[in-house]
Amino acid sequence: MKKCLIFLDSEQIQNSIELLEVARRMYPDEHWEAYGVVINYSPPEAQGFFDFIIQVNARNIKQYNLKEITNAISDIHKQYNFDVILIPGTWCGRILAPRLAVRLQTGLTADVTEIRHKEDSIEMVRPVFSSRMMAGIINKSNGPIMMSVRQNVFKYAGNKDRQTRLVEFDYQSNAQPGIRQVSVYEKSQSYDIRESNVLVSGGGGVGKDFHRLEALAEVLKGHVAASRRIVDKGIAPRSIQVGQSGKTVSPKLYIALGIYGAIQHVEGLKNVACIISVNTNANAPICSLSDIVVEGDALLFVDLLTERIRIYNEATKCPPLL
Amino acid sequence: MKLICVVKFVPDVDNFRYDFENNKLIREDMRLILNPDDACAVAFALKVKEKLAGTVVEVVTMAPKKIVPHMEDLLRLGVDKGVILSDKAFAGSDTYVTSKVLSRYLLGQHYDCIITGTHAVDGDTAHVPAQLGEWLGLNQMSGITKVDMEKFNKAFAYVDVDNDQTSATYEVSLPAVLSLTREIGYKLPYVRKGEINRDVKSSIYILGGEDLGLHEDQTGLKGSLTQVVETYAKQYEKRERTLVKADNDGVETVFHYLHEKGFI
Repeated sequence: MKKCLIFLDSEQIQNSIELLEVARRMYPDEHWEAYGVVINYSPPEAQGFFDFIIQVNARNIKQYNLKEITNAISDIHKQYNFDVILIPGTWCGRILAPRLAVRLQTGLTADVTEIRHKEDSIEMVRPVFSSRMMAGIINKSNGPIMMSVRQNVFKYAGNKDRQTRLVEFDYQSNAQPGIRQVSVYEKSQSYDIRESNVLVSGGGGVGKDFHRLEALAEVLKGHVAASRRIVDKGIAPRSIQVGQSGKTVSPKLYIALGIYGAIQHVEGLKNVACIISVNTNANAPICSLSDIVVEGDALLFVDLLTERIRIYNEATKCPPLL
Repeated sequence: MKLICVVKFVPDVDNFRYDFENNKLIREDMRLILNPDDACAVAFALKVKEKLAGTVVEVVTMAPKKIVPHMEDLLRLGVDKGVILSDKAFAGSDTYVTSKVLSRYLLGQHYDCIITGTHAVDGDTAHVPAQLGEWLGLNQMSGITKVDMEKFNKAFAYVDVDNDQTSATYEVSLPAVLSLTREIGYKLPYVRKGEINRDVKSSIYILGGEDLGLHEDQTGLKGSLTQVVETYAKQYEKRERTLVKADNDGVETVFHYLHEKGFI
């Protein structure tokens, strides 16, 4: 029986649980046991999803003390000898995974988006060359198969009625952790593009006039998003970036304005029902994925469409009751 | 204070050309550039040198010898020493081997802090900085968007990290590996006119596997723990598209489509 360990990032519990889908796809015809490891508490959301939750008790350790957490998980691994270790591609996860792989002397694949089976081996698929291509990667070492997993790509569709047992694991650190959080504040971003139904997204063709997209987003009751080009130029915040190095989004409607649609960007679109793209180049890659392609100036289109919807909304507004 | 920047030279991916007919990258005459996050790391170190007298900056990279001219330019900008770990046997190394080679060199060095970028634009695994931390037994922090220059000293660094939902400041005891992102905003200047031809060769050191005590079998494809077994261009589902112009008629078509689908 295969043993699969998932690191549960306490700031992204739900996302971490979805990684069970990766294990399910790795072993479709085999029985496998699900282990979750989490630092200093036990998340109630994990009930039913895992066979075991291993709670690391370490009073002086916080989740960002990843050198210490590497020690703890490596100790746990010695005890259980996992076949697979899955780590979510969160900030913590992406620091932890490489450390742990070196410690366990095993190969690590980053940011996995797909699992393939080729003869006897399990291939981990990830985008390479700024997502222009995909690469299938195998683990050559004798250690556990390890990967960090791209967030929001896998959705767990397996059984949720496992008998979850809690195992406490006491970890004693003999050194000062060396990293201390001095302050932290929640960002004021009022929305998460991953939860939006309608996204009005701007790319290089929109440039510094990016703010003009807000009006269209507003009349469509959606939000604005951006491509990497715009974010790298400092015009839009990283938090609204769509794509491989940004977020994976699944809105019902995606309006791509002045976006070329490099694979890196398109990788960030999953199960989008309707795509409309506006581009001076009707042969840009994004256009072949679109339901409607508008050839021309994106900003001119934004202004015209915004106005058209406004007029409609005004006209259909109920007259005030007398 | 001694700062070592560990950097990578990468293909200029933003100017890649792609052969859509044959689904492959056009590799001929592909230019190598200093990875953008890593350029920020070097620029930051030079800024520290400007502020703190006696600071020494070293740049270390694992790369083919053809990057020597790039390294020379970094020295002309104020870097004190350049080290290129280069060996035919290193070709095809995965991140495990790359970090092993780099740390083999670093283990014999004295330093107060190691500065790197977070992401490289080609591989984009962000593995090597964290792996260096592990090999060297140091703390490592990725995604740094700010280092408090006033408080930066041999004992501590105060750094900001932007997460998805939060922004936090950490006190990191040094030595440690600090991995910066482009958002930190430090930029390398151009080499000054009078410096362009300055001979800096004596400050560049090229070391191979043997110099580091590494056997051929321990590096390159042979030493790697992961292997790329296939690459392919991603296939996307193409849609039946309607093509219109960005004029009143086109807007009308889009408007009716949105109305029909219930978005308006």
